[in-house]
Amino acid sequence: MNNLVQNEMMKLLAKKRLIIIGLIVGILVLMFTYAQYKQVEEQREKLGTDDWRAALQQQIIDTQNRLGSNRMLDEWREQLQVSLKQQQYYLDHDINPSEPGAATFTRMFLENAIDLFIPLLIMIVASDMVSSENSQGTIKLLLTRPVERWKILLSKYVTLLLSVSIIVAVTALLSYLLSGIVFGYQGWGAPVITGFELKGADVDVSQVRLVEQWKFLLMDLGLVWLVAVVVGTLSFMLSVLVRSTPAGMGIMLAALISGAILNNMVSSWESAKYFFMVNLKLTAYISGTAPPIEGMTLLSSVITLLVWWALALIVSFTVFTRRDVY
Amino acid sequence: MFLSKPKVLAITIASAFIGLFFLFCLGWAIMDHYGKGTSDKEVIEETAIKKNDFPDDFTVVAIGDSLTRGTGDETGKGYVGLVIEDLKSEYNRKPIIHNLGINGQVSKELVQQVRQPEVKRQIQAADVILVTIGGNDLFQKGRTLLEYDREAITVSQKSFLGNLHEIFKDINKVNDTATILLLGLYNPFIDLDEDFDTNRIVRDWNNETAEVVALYENAIFVPTFDLFQLSVNEYLYSDKFHPNKKGYRLIADRVAPLIKWEDVER
Repeated sequence: MNNLVQNEMMKLLAKKRLIIIGLIVGILVLMFTYAQYKQVEEQREKLGTDDWRAALQQQIIDTQNRLGSNRMLDEWREQLQVSLKQQQYYLDHDINPSEPGAATFTRMFLENAIDLFIPLLIMIVASDMVSSENSQGTIKLLLTRPVERWKILLSKYVTLLLSVSIIVAVTALLSYLLSGIVFGYQGWGAPVITGFELKGADVDVSQVRLVEQWKFLLMDLGLVWLVAVVVGTLSFMLSVLVRSTPAGMGIMLAALISGAILNNMVSSWESAKYFFMVNLKLTAYISGTAPPIEGMTLLSSVITLLVWWALALIVSFTVFTRRDVY
Repeated sequence: MFLSKPKVLAITIASAFIGLFFLFCLGWAIMDHYGKGTSDKEVIEETAIKKNDFPDDFTVVAIGDSLTRGTGDETGKGYVGLVIEDLKSEYNRKPIIHNLGINGQVSKELVQQVRQPEVKRQIQAADVILVTIGGNDLFQKGRTLLEYDREAITVSQKSFLGNLHEIFKDINKVNDTATILLLGLYNPFIDLDEDFDTNRIVRDWNNETAEVVALYENAIFVPTFDLFQLSVNEYLYSDKFHPNKKGYRLIADRVAPLIKWEDVER
């Protein structure tokens, strides 16, 4: 088994996909770093000061003005009201919600990347794990070896889990290292507020507590990893089911993008919460953003994702061990 | 890239550890979220307002309604932006500006706003405070004109004047050296009104407001009624309520010369 995994790992590393993923992450992080740097600069220009409280106060005022306009969907209004109350809470307690520094940048980057960017990266590796053996014809060589089929698939799956872990770690590491060039490498100890409880447009602050940023970052990473594993497993299943890699990728891509779109408009379609792609934004629960459908909680999302994960594994293994290869 | 066996083994083991670590983080995140967490249960208390730690630059704080916000000016500056530009070109320096105007704000809401800690802190640092308030109290989005009711106007005027006192008192509590410029109301409905009834109401409103302002040493009442009196339509935005770019220019031209930029040690 160990040899099988190492054999798969060797194949994966030989493809140099991980290096390409690293490059993509690096370029994107540099772009975002520059964009944020520009934004900070413009704000300073506009307010005449770089005091964060003044900037946050200005954001609150802007939100209040947007809320005042009549042409707004109720759900959006609700979300704005929630973020308004949180911003006011930060301000009233003299805590900077975005303490400048690479640690904050990394946290924000992960929180924004969790539902689309990270899954896309995972797809690059996962979606041809099995189907490439089909298209190259090497599947026959693999299956003629005196090893049971499920072991072969398991070794591939373990390799997938390992590479998912590498990708998540590399993403976090690169965004920390690269953004630090501009923002400095500090911010680990900055306080972050967690525990906002949302009831519609109301924010319950009785459970609110402070967490040091490094702890928050690690929790974020755990959640990002779960999402990456689930998305990876689903792409893995597709690569077993669909023999052509592009088709498998296309299906997964469609699902992910529809998830991103659905997130903005499903609030009235309650059963949509059982789709895996609506449940990907796990970090939103601990930072306190409103979920796309009322009633969704961290636990319900995690369970939904785990059910999809288990089903994908069962399907993958059943199909792979029973299929005729010719 | 040459892949030796030990190298692959090392990467495999390292990534296995990373994976386990993330699994641990995941468990931690879920536990923490449901209150069995390890994160610090610090009681967060409302902090007292911070002593002013802005640089000692000339600071303008603008509070109030849509006029402060600049609604109707397609360049988005409003009279506040124009005043700042004037100051900048006259003194060759840029003042710090905090524009806290909120569309549709009425005096009652402004009372609440000036009590917020951060707003207080900014007011504390201010050298000039620009205020536009009362337009929404009086006109109520045009309703006053449609259902003209003397009684109701008297009531809202009374509560407005009370709120104005509150606002001035609260400002003076944190900063009694800043100059407060309160802009009077103009009558956007002057052309629609043949009996000049709204004119009388606005004039009366302004007079009462000026009386209140006169009670505060550092406050100045800046009339705008006359600016819009003769050709109101030329200076109003297409909603026939807010000033347009030209209208804001008129207001700014009246306000800017009143501001004296002196480097006062606070």
